[in-house]
Amino acid sequence: MANKSVWSDNRFWARSAAWISGFASVLLIWLTFDTSVQISMGTDSDLKNGVTKRVPAPTVINYKITYEMSAKRGHEVPIIGGNDGKGMSLFQEKEKFFGKDDWSEKEAAEMLHLGKLASQTKNCMNCHTLLGNGAYYAPDLTKAWLDPAWSSTGALQPMTGKTTKEEAMAEFLQHPSKYPTHARMMPNLGITEKEARGLVAFLKHMSSIDTNGFPRNFGKMQGAVNGK
Amino acid sequence: MIEPLTDVVPSFFAILNQGPLTLTIFLHTIIVLPMIWVYKQEKARLDSEA
Repeated sequence: MANKSVWSDNRFWARSAAWISGFASVLLIWLTFDTSVQISMGTDSDLKNGVTKRVPAPTVINYKITYEMSAKRGHEVPIIGGNDGKGMSLFQEKEKFFGKDDWSEKEAAEMLHLGKLASQTKNCMNCHTLLGNGAYYAPDLTKAWLDPAWSSTGALQPMTGKTTKEEAMAEFLQHPSKYPTHARMMPNLGITEKEARGLVAFLKHMSSIDTNGFPRNFGKMQGAVNGK
Repeated sequence: MIEPLTDVVPSFFAILNQGPLTLTIFLHTIIVLPMIWVYKQEKARLDSEA
């Protein structure tokens, strides 16, 4: 057999395929463990000791959360309890959430769990996206807690007649069809007061998750029309 | 090319992922280099069998 090409040789392709499949398998297993470290939830002592985690503990609802530009990372990051001036959280400044800023680990976890279950039973993702997952009918809720429209000077909070952001959001969630927000109005889903509080806690916690700057330039769009 | 890590949780992939193509180029290099070695081995085998 003279001058047989390597390209038409079965063994070359079999060995290459074995190498690529083996390498890809190892890489995917490695990435799985790498991701689980990235997304594992922090603890209350992390917050108290100033340890930045990608997903903070449920007690993050006791802190003031803002979304600020980090020059180092080149995008906005959630800042918990004040900015140290270098784009890192200080974990000091507290903020009252439904009247108190000392929700215990157990209380906060229970509230968040109820909110998560409510978000699933009411199927928020049927219209909204959470962390980018879901439907594109209604606005993304990843940073909904930080939406300037819900601040005291925004359009949505005064509409509900409430004086705090969490109460305004909870009131809206219980009677969404009462308030004209958008051409695509949210229907009344029969959300109870307790569920609404849980959902607001769920949203506040979600806004504290470091999503590498997603959604980009959130809250900076001026003169938005119909949520665009 | 390699800049200080800016990610929240330190990770090998965060170090590699410095720009849009760094991770892709690295992984393709790792995959293709051994294939060149396999190619040479198989060529030598075919030549010896000829």
